[in-house]
Amino acid sequence: MLDISNLSASIEGKKILKNFDLKIKPGEIHAIMGPNGSGKSTLANILSGRKGYEIEGKAFYEGKNLLEIPIEERAQKGIFLAFQYPIEIPGVNTNIFLKTSLNTIRKFRGLKELDSLDFLKLVREKSKNLKIQEKILSRQLNVGFSGGEKKKNEILQMTLLEPKLAILDETDSGLDIDALKIVSDGVNSLRNKNRSFLIITHYQRLLDYIKPDFVHVLVNGKIVKTGNSDLARELEKDGYEGVTETK
Amino acid sequence: MNLNFDEFQKTNLSYKELDNIRTKNFKKFETLGFPTKKQENWKYTDLKNIINNNFENLQIFKDKNNSSYNNKLLIKNFEHNRIILLNGNFIESNFSFEDEKKIIIKSLKIALEEKKEFEKIKNYFEDDQNSMISLNHALVNDGIIFEIDNNYSFNKPLIIYNFFDEAADNKIINNKVFISLGENSNLSLVDFYKCENIFKYFNNTIHNYTIKKNAVLKKFSINASLDSSYNYNLTKVKSYSNSIFENFLLSLGPSLIKNEVHCNLLENYSSCFLNGIMLLNGDQHHELKTNVNHKYENCKSSQLIKSVLLDKSNGTYQGKIYVDKKAQKTNGYQLSKALILSESSEFNSKPELEIYADDVKCSHGSTIGNIDENSIFYLMSRGLTRQQANKMIVEGFLNEVIETITEPNIKKLISQLFIERINKANV
Repeated sequence: MLDISNLSASIEGKKILKNFDLKIKPGEIHAIMGPNGSGKSTLANILSGRKGYEIEGKAFYEGKNLLEIPIEERAQKGIFLAFQYPIEIPGVNTNIFLKTSLNTIRKFRGLKELDSLDFLKLVREKSKNLKIQEKILSRQLNVGFSGGEKKKNEILQMTLLEPKLAILDETDSGLDIDALKIVSDGVNSLRNKNRSFLIITHYQRLLDYIKPDFVHVLVNGKIVKTGNSDLARELEKDGYEGVTETK
Repeated sequence: MNLNFDEFQKTNLSYKELDNIRTKNFKKFETLGFPTKKQENWKYTDLKNIINNNFENLQIFKDKNNSSYNNKLLIKNFEHNRIILLNGNFIESNFSFEDEKKIIIKSLKIALEEKKEFEKIKNYFEDDQNSMISLNHALVNDGIIFEIDNNYSFNKPLIIYNFFDEAADNKIINNKVFISLGENSNLSLVDFYKCENIFKYFNNTIHNYTIKKNAVLKKFSINASLDSSYNYNLTKVKSYSNSIFENFLLSLGPSLIKNEVHCNLLENYSSCFLNGIMLLNGDQHHELKTNVNHKYENCKSSQLIKSVLLDKSNGTYQGKIYVDKKAQKTNGYQLSKALILSESSEFNSKPELEIYADDVKCSHGSTIGNIDENSIFYLMSRGLTRQQANKMIVEGFLNEVIETITEPNIKKLISQLFIERINKANV
């Protein structure tokens, strides 16, 4: 599904990712943990197509050169990024945004576009599962949403768009325990043998709910250790320094 | 340019007093000429220059004998009363939803013909340093006088249709509209401008409103379908105790428009709300100049203007709040936000606060910028193309002002016109 090799990225001359390698097969859940500034968000940004980075190396998505695919096509082809800081867009109605996004992607996938009634039915069902109050969907996109509401809205978008590769950039930060559980349930309900996840997080907490197949430790733009979900617990206990020193 | 005032005077001769006012004002206009950017109030709209560049031989408008309008142009599926002005001339009115005993509607032309009637509005012909006002005083040939009795609330909105046809081509049309609301009265007014074909004309129009105690006037100015027109629209409002004046300005259509709104809050607890959007493309040049005069205690004013500029368009907001030394406890607010979407477009914002009282709450803000790239990235990461993302953000940006409209039917009408426009504008 995703094959990254020898990827380096820098911004304004500062190298953030250094000869980074990562392979994700269909159905796998990978977690990337690492201290602040290790390059986690940069990786998420590059995979979803954000501009402004100088990139070297290779990244293939479903056999195609990901780095050459325009932002919106990545989304249409099934890459989804749950933002660490979802953007507030004043005046844009959340429901209208969700419908436009869903229909653009459905159209690309050769599915029938949903009319307003079908869309509302779908969005109601999905938001109920995530315990999102329906009234926030008629508000302006992310404007005045609490931290938890913003993150849930990201997961709602993910469940609507049904991506092939979902990248969650610190979706757990700012969530209380109940919300964390709801968000994790949302992710788990989407797990299947074809869908892959890349979960970026600081803390092991989220990984108690979403059990990853692989845990990678990213330090200074490089993966320094890879293990199974036990590695996350070690990290929690010994910290990044402890784990990386013992290698 | 050579406006033939003598010929106009010959065909519009009346009693001496009015003839003298016309002559005096035309002379004043001749001395001053069309306003130029050297005048502070016209700094961003050099009218003289614009007229010279767009009209080879602008003539004074002459009445047609046969004045019929195309009734297909009336707005459908929207119950309303109507007043029709064709090229500034009063054609007809229809108040089928109302108690007509509570309403007086007169043609200004007929009122001007009778000295007794003229006496009532003579004060509105006072001298002014603004040469467009002098020109209007000199050449006014029609318009309306519209009065609503005390204690009367309109059942349905009133649309004043300002239609223009081929008789307007290459002409300057000067008219005046007088509206007064009696105590405790209530009116929603749509000032709707439409010209079916591409005729180039200049419309110089002055509205004078009087809003008595506890009365509410909500006005919606719509110029969505005026493609090649040039306009100066001046509105002067006198607001009395506890009255409310709201004006929503949808500035989309004309090649040139300078909208000027002067609100005079004359008595306790009167308020005015000026909200508007400008969405300009091509070579359009729009200006909104407001002048909110707090002349008494406890009055409130609020202004929210949002603008989007494409291509080589040019927009201006000059918003002034004046607070008299008597006007304690004033609450004044204004905010202008503009998005510039092309390197060749221009937006000027000039907030002015002039405050002589010491116990007031006044604030203002003004931003001019581009679309936020983070917002674009967010939407594109959800599958939208850059164009779709741009449009969604622009629509949302302007929609915030449309959301302030409290009349559902009028909001629907304005939303429709706005959406049509944004789809056409190639944002």
